[in-house]
Amino acid sequence: MIELAMNGIHATAERGWTLLETAQFYGIPIPTLCHREGLTPYGACRLCVVEIGEGPGARLVSSCTYPAQPGLRVRTATARVVRARRMVLELLLASCPQSKVIQDLAAAHGVRRQRFRQEHETCILCGLCARICSEQMMAGAIGFRGRGGRRSLGAPFDLASDVCRHCGACMYVCPACQLRCTFTDPEKAVCGGCANLRPPCVEKPAFDDLMCFLTPCVACEIRADTKGEVRK
Amino acid sequence: MEKLSSLAELRALQERIRDERDPTQPTVVIPSGTCGQASGASDLIRIAKREILGNGLAAHLRLRITGCRGYCEMEPFVVVEPRGTFYPKVRPEDMASIVQAAAHGEVLPDRLYREPISGARFEQWSEIPFFKRQRRTLLLRNDRVDPIQISDYLENGGYSSLARVLELEPAAAIEEMKASGLRGRGGAGFPTGLKWELLAKQESGTGKYLVCNADEGDPGAYMDRAVLEGNPQSIIEGMLIGAFATCATEGIIYVRSEYPLAIKHLVIALRQARALGLLGDGILGTALSFDIRLARGAGAFVCGEETALMRSVEGLVGEPRQRPPYPVERGIGGKPTAINNVETWANVPVIFERSAAEFASVGTPKSRGTKIFSLVGKIRNTGLVEVPMGMTIGEIVHDIGGGPRKGDLKAVQTGGPSGGCIPARLFDLPIDYDTLARAGSIMGSGGMIVLDDETCMVDVARYFTAFLEDESCGKCFTCRKGTQRMHEILEDITHGRATVDHLDLLEELAAVVQDTTMCGLGQTASNPVSSTLRYFRSEYLRHIVDKRCDAFACRDLVGAPCQSACPLGTEAWRYVAHIARQDYEEAYRVLRESNPFPSVCARVCNHPCETRCRSGSLGGEPIAVRALKRFLTDRVDPSMFVPKRSARAPAGARVAVVGAGPAGLAAAHYLALEGHEVTLFEAAERPGGTLRSGIPPYRLPHDVLDREIAAIVSDPLVTLRCGQALGRDFTIEGLLGAGCGAVLLALGAHRSLALGLEGEDAAGVFPAMRLLEASNLRGEWLARGRVGVIGGGNAAVDAARVALRQPEVDSVTIYYRRTRREMPAFRGEILAALEEGVQLVELVTPMRLTVREGRLTGLDMVHNELGERDESGRRKPVPVPGTRHTVPLETLIVAIREECDSSCLSGEQEIQLGRGGTVRVDRETLETDRRGVFAAGDAIRGPDTVVDAIADGKRAARTIGCFLRGEMMRRPAVPVLPEVWVEHVPLGDDELDRAKRPAAPSAPPESRRRSFVEVEQVLSERAAVAEARRCLRCDLDFTRPRELVAQHQPAEASR
Repeated sequence: MIELAMNGIHATAERGWTLLETAQFYGIPIPTLCHREGLTPYGACRLCVVEIGEGPGARLVSSCTYPAQPGLRVRTATARVVRARRMVLELLLASCPQSKVIQDLAAAHGVRRQRFRQEHETCILCGLCARICSEQMMAGAIGFRGRGGRRSLGAPFDLASDVCRHCGACMYVCPACQLRCTFTDPEKAVCGGCANLRPPCVEKPAFDDLMCFLTPCVACEIRADTKGEVRK
Repeated sequence: MEKLSSLAELRALQERIRDERDPTQPTVVIPSGTCGQASGASDLIRIAKREILGNGLAAHLRLRITGCRGYCEMEPFVVVEPRGTFYPKVRPEDMASIVQAAAHGEVLPDRLYREPISGARFEQWSEIPFFKRQRRTLLLRNDRVDPIQISDYLENGGYSSLARVLELEPAAAIEEMKASGLRGRGGAGFPTGLKWELLAKQESGTGKYLVCNADEGDPGAYMDRAVLEGNPQSIIEGMLIGAFATCATEGIIYVRSEYPLAIKHLVIALRQARALGLLGDGILGTALSFDIRLARGAGAFVCGEETALMRSVEGLVGEPRQRPPYPVERGIGGKPTAINNVETWANVPVIFERSAAEFASVGTPKSRGTKIFSLVGKIRNTGLVEVPMGMTIGEIVHDIGGGPRKGDLKAVQTGGPSGGCIPARLFDLPIDYDTLARAGSIMGSGGMIVLDDETCMVDVARYFTAFLEDESCGKCFTCRKGTQRMHEILEDITHGRATVDHLDLLEELAAVVQDTTMCGLGQTASNPVSSTLRYFRSEYLRHIVDKRCDAFACRDLVGAPCQSACPLGTEAWRYVAHIARQDYEEAYRVLRESNPFPSVCARVCNHPCETRCRSGSLGGEPIAVRALKRFLTDRVDPSMFVPKRSARAPAGARVAVVGAGPAGLAAAHYLALEGHEVTLFEAAERPGGTLRSGIPPYRLPHDVLDREIAAIVSDPLVTLRCGQALGRDFTIEGLLGAGCGAVLLALGAHRSLALGLEGEDAAGVFPAMRLLEASNLRGEWLARGRVGVIGGGNAAVDAARVALRQPEVDSVTIYYRRTRREMPAFRGEILAALEEGVQLVELVTPMRLTVREGRLTGLDMVHNELGERDESGRRKPVPVPGTRHTVPLETLIVAIREECDSSCLSGEQEIQLGRGGTVRVDRETLETDRRGVFAAGDAIRGPDTVVDAIADGKRAARTIGCFLRGEMMRRPAVPVLPEVWVEHVPLGDDELDRAKRPAAPSAPPESRRRSFVEVEQVLSERAAVAEARRCLRCDLDFTRPRELVAQHQPAEASR
């Protein structure tokens, strides 16, 4: 057992727990977009930052990847943490304004505007889809390509992958474009992400035989109609 | 070669190699690293080999090809040992003679290094200031070995450190490492001994790794490459010592594929070490088993980060991961791993060669030893320099680097893209890990980019942010998006699209990026932004608020540099283009439109357009804009230009302008064009101000001046009243009461400052302005006999040249406290004065005037030497004790500085004065503290240039117009960009080679010595047109011809 202080509370963590797991165990809320139980912690979204240490040595770390260590002093909602989270959310809003999840998180954190040039991206590169594909579905059909601004997710060479089983898990876990299935219902079209999403299924010549459980999802139809021109 | 199976065999081999070689044998050394090869060292090597073999010199002349020696500026160079004779920048045709001279023990004096400033010649490399001030330890070893010959390394004591360590206990080796105080040279500065200790403590049944991190990717930094290429064996020896101390089993050198020569030398070195049994199992008969392999990186910057490097070695995408666990706990393949930088490993044999204590005696308490810096940028001596930690930045930049190539230094950027900029005023900071971190930068791997006043700091931040945006792995959202957004904002600032809010956003974002990213790249990614914001905030604001880039680097704010450099905004490119088309009238129209004094400026302007001309800043000669202007004004009849009039002024608006100098006249002109009634008051008998009283007629003939003034005062709306002095004949109160809507004070700066020495009131001592006034206005000649002038500005040089022309004068000497290089007067004027016979004595300060019977007889002076540098980077003059001497003089002219004579404003309570008697104004509107009263010219600036005064007058005319109409006087700034397309008449290919800047013809010095006839003459038409065609036409980037505009969208054409 590892003893540490969490927001001033004496906490004990199991060996191997991360700070996020410890906080969740104690019911302390920490927002995150790229963490999901059952998948390897990745640390991409930086929303889950917490402050560790004290005085001039204090620093922010992502709680989903930082292991619980004996004697560590963790604070999950200091001014510095909140300032960072708000900026992260502002950056997220600037890039993916249509995601309901991001909108809700931003609202909950009091972020009411974004000051950057507006972009309309559909992916925050959290890597959940790639991780669920390789770690839970044992397929490894999609992954990251490129680096920096040119980093993207997809199948190798953008060709339909032979190992993809069209399970739809990648779409299911995606935090940036939830509610995609309301796309055809304009009143509920919060995100419209599916119009731009590039799910592996659409590369298949016929979508009738797909094992897609997202029944109202029409991403593949749209793609079939427009020959992929909808996407960015 | 036989495998060595014991320490004794190693020592015997070293002995044998040493015995075989004669250290006094002449040796030609050719450094041939990547840098050397790029500048032509390979050719030198080929010629040297042919010369040696062809002439049978091989028996008594050796040739050694080494890695980089550091003095990249002088490459390719050759050193002849044993004397150490240094031949810089050797051309292939000189190589044969150098080989011959070396074989005969001779020196070629005219091929030696010559110090550019003092001109002193140096024979031996170690005497040259660049090398002399360094403490070369690692680089010195580079000099002595051929990197592909292990025998060279053994001859110079190679592997002795390993032999010494093998006789110790591993724990003792770690203790010694800790005692040395060596800190990681890769940037973070973690103590190496401690890292080794942590690794040694790790239990691992499957082995441990040692890694040499040679993924050097900082722009402008290449010290690791030099060590890898020049001395790969030292890395191997260092890693062997590390392996022994930490019980590591496998070594990896991670080197980027962009370093092919380093890889080649490493492969050879590893093969040779393995052949000698220095790598493998049971090294030198001990239980140590260790081998090293190369891992080649694909050149991603982030792979220099240790966790990303490990993933790259494992064959995965180079992405950092969270630490802890640290690599020493769980590294490559899950095995404990210690990763050190190339330079750190190279330091290991140095420490064990002598002792840890000796190593620790160099440097500062917290940063021991020496550090190699790669000194590049706007500096005289670029190259690799190795200095003890704790040397100041100033010493490195000025003493070793030789100071700026031209202009002034502004900052030094250390630590590559993750580092920051340190401004010139902090150049006395010592360089060590902690001081640099406190100053907002980092040591990094040792890149040091020197920036001068032609470097825009916003642009620098933009460049590095773009680099990081590209090199961020993209895993952390805040690093990927944060760098992208920072770059976006910086791009907006350099394009003039940003607002002050963007600056706050940038700061906020920079802080969050630093806070929330996982690896070192992200955490330091905002350093370029935050350090420039910290030290150069005003430069950011200048871009955002004034839309100006003072370094003339941001293209979209600068437009054509000649135009934006001109205080008047004259479209120099445009009239130059019309001269090239031989349409002189149109050219004159363009010129006259923005400047009511074209003929005056054609003679006396300090031509900032030429200073900033891109033809010049790109390394050539700037276009002779002023000479072209002179050509135009001499050729075109000014009456062809009819200024455009408007009736914007409210009916009956009257303005009083006090002072008919360039500022007052320009203001009167532009006010009248808008329909204001202007009354010009002038205290002197004739208008012109400093143009008449201060500038001698041999520079600006009075008839030229009179013509241009007459054109202005002949305007029906302008009334000139001479002999009217403010305070004596009228008051501001009276003017405002008598119906003037506004008053402009253009008083000028005519009062010379006194020296403050005793006896200054003696006969024969004159302020420069008095001498000039007497001569220019009244033809009185005050100077006689031996004349001394004190000062180094334009007034001093003018006074000297005027004195020289006076009949009773025997000789004229200018005394200046610094050297000619520091004189603020125009270069051309100084040169002309010296040509005419004015003497210049540098480095003297007057101490006392000797006076007999109320007349000056001489001047006591003391010699100076240049001491410490002040904030501007110039050396301060310091008196040398015991050098006091007296020079006999009959006349002394004091020209140290002029200031504004604002005594006439003593009755004005509301008008506040600033420094040096200047009138305090709002710099944008030129309004004084009293409403409706404006000021312009030298009265608000102190003594300044003619063109600035005219620009002030023009600006005051605009704001006074706004004031009288009740409009806003402030205007949002917009970048001044070229707007009109003019046909390009380019030079042909053959003309291009011959084209060069013409020297404006001038009268011969002998004939002008006693005459006040104009010195400078006009260019011929042929020369003028040829020069105009030489213009690079920066404006064409912004304009396009009408035919093209018609084809495009109207929105696009509006530029």
